[in-house]
Amino acid sequence: MMNLVYYELFKTYAKWRTYIGFIAVAVIIPLIMWGMHLQSGHNFVQYQLRSLQSDFLITGNLFNGWSISQIIMNSLWVHVPFLISLVAGDQLAGEATAGTFRLILIRPVSRTRILVSKYIATLFYTASLLIVIAILSLGLGLIIFGSGDLLAVDRDMLTILPEAHLWSRFLLAYSLAIWSMWVVASLAFLFSSFVENAIGPIIATMTVVVALLIISNLPVESFESIKPYLFTTYQDVWQQAFKEPTDWSHIAKSCGVLGVYSAVFYSMTWYIFKRKDILS
Amino acid sequence: MSAEVVLRTINLGKQYKKRWAVQNMNLEIHRGDVFGFLGPNGAGKSTTIRMILSLVTPTDGSVELFRHQLSTEREAALAKVAGIVEKPDFYLYLTAYRNMQIAGAMTMGKTPSRTMIMDNLQLVGLASRAFDRVKTFSHGMKQRLGIAQALLCKPELIVLDEPTNGLDPQGMKEVRDLIVRLSREHKMTVFLSSHLLNEVEQVATHMAIINKGKLVAQGSVEDLLHSKLHNVKISVLPVKKSLAILKKLKTVKDAALDGDGISALINNADIPKVVRTLAAAQCKIYSIMPQRSLEEYFLSVTEEN
Ligand SMILES: Nc1ncnc2c1ncn2[C@@H]1O[C@H](COP(=O)(O)OP(=O)(O)OP(=O)(O)O)[C@@H](O)[C@H]1O
Ligand SMILES: [Mg+2]
Repeated sequence: MMNLVYYELFKTYAKWRTYIGFIAVAVIIPLIMWGMHLQSGHNFVQYQLRSLQSDFLITGNLFNGWSISQIIMNSLWVHVPFLISLVAGDQLAGEATAGTFRLILIRPVSRTRILVSKYIATLFYTASLLIVIAILSLGLGLIIFGSGDLLAVDRDMLTILPEAHLWSRFLLAYSLAIWSMWVVASLAFLFSSFVENAIGPIIATMTVVVALLIISNLPVESFESIKPYLFTTYQDVWQQAFKEPTDWSHIAKSCGVLGVYSAVFYSMTWYIFKRKDILS
Repeated sequence: MSAEVVLRTINLGKQYKKRWAVQNMNLEIHRGDVFGFLGPNGAGKSTTIRMILSLVTPTDGSVELFRHQLSTEREAALAKVAGIVEKPDFYLYLTAYRNMQIAGAMTMGKTPSRTMIMDNLQLVGLASRAFDRVKTFSHGMKQRLGIAQALLCKPELIVLDEPTNGLDPQGMKEVRDLIVRLSREHKMTVFLSSHLLNEVEQVATHMAIINKGKLVAQGSVEDLLHSKLHNVKISVLPVKKSLAILKKLKTVKDAALDGDGISALINNADIPKVVRTLAAAQCKIYSIMPQRSLEEYFLSVTEEN
């Protein structure tokens, strides 16, 4: 089994499309930072602090590597699912396109095991992309903008999160982001099992993610009743890492729902793949 | 004493939408055979092979490999089987060597050793290209790489779907020679499909002919090609009843209405028996005329397409 996973990882990371994601974030993140740096992002924080400044005297650097990382996490929300579906949507469809299913599915290895190893490789890629985003945005952010306390905005409340706890908060935030992006990866993986070309799964995944994100975020009465059933409603769970006090039961519930979604998508993929006639 | 049956299909059939691509396919391949699976384009060769190698689930019937049911004991059934379906495809972005590693790992559960891989590449004359990406390979080289990766798991049965398709005459000869060597020197059982009669005649010991998804004839190449099985035209009355009787007879193949009579494939030796059966059923036989040999029959079927 380890061997199968190893070769699936190998195949994934030997393809150039896998690096589109890494290249994209390696371009975008420094670009955002450069822009912020030029603008001298103080404006941004000052905007948030407007109301406070009259009442409080704020000292220290609140516009720092931590806050910029948080801003980046917030702004890559549609972008990252696209980069993930690029690879996840290709996992099964790509082998169909290339005809290589005829190579591996005639081997005395069950389809289930092949599927599991592909799924693990997909989750691994998703995690690796987010880890690269974390390292880039935190690393560059802290180098360029320095460290300091983090100003967290929660509706109308402002909280100052002390610097000392920020490592663990970001660790939690990125872990939760990985967990929620695994749902997107699982969805693209599912779509990938339907067809013999990776374009379809990528478009389908993006359509679903964007449509659900819109529904989840629109303050429309009639959508309220379905919101609890959409995975996108729970995908911002990582923001909980910056709430004080941390609402663990909210986190647990969101992670539970997201986990169920991933499991359901995977099970459907398995059901389809197990029975699929390989005609490519 | 006949050798062990390594591959058997029982009433194997596949339906796509409403159409049957393959129907009632009963094949039997013994250890040591080079089995030619002959049929014109669209006859159902690839579909049959896909079912044998578990790529496609049969609509009907079953496949047995080395006495294991494919549907229930897939891993055991495929353990000693290798194959190439339609054209040989690889991970083009990886080297030949990597492709060999992956193929080997999938069968053996561990990565094959370097010597093993290089020996097999050597056998098909690709050792010098081991570390080139498959993207740069010609069709003929891919075909040979396909055979090399198939051999990696030391199969006892190798299934090849039109292995010489698209090759130039030199490439065809090389692949055919390789098949003969695999059979003679490595004692492998070979199942190969082809739409070329002379290819089957050259390399195979046994053969089956299929057309429109159905088995037409099966036996040794010697018996089928250099013999006695003839396409005959029978004038008989009443036609419908006779046709029904002929269709039930094991010795009669491919019986069908043909003008005001019936055409069928019958072995010379069986003709008296067929006549007796028809006579016993009160059918009146006016004539039985041999039309064509099996070879001519196959050529005419091919020309129809
Ligand atoms: N995916 C499919 N959907 C519907 N019909 C199909 C499909 N694949 C094959 N067929 C039909 O099944 C029949 C058998 O096709 P198959 O590919 O098995 O023939 P073949 O003998 O391998 O032909 P060739 O010599 O052209 O490779 C054909 O009539 C074909 O049209
Ligand atoms: Mg074919």
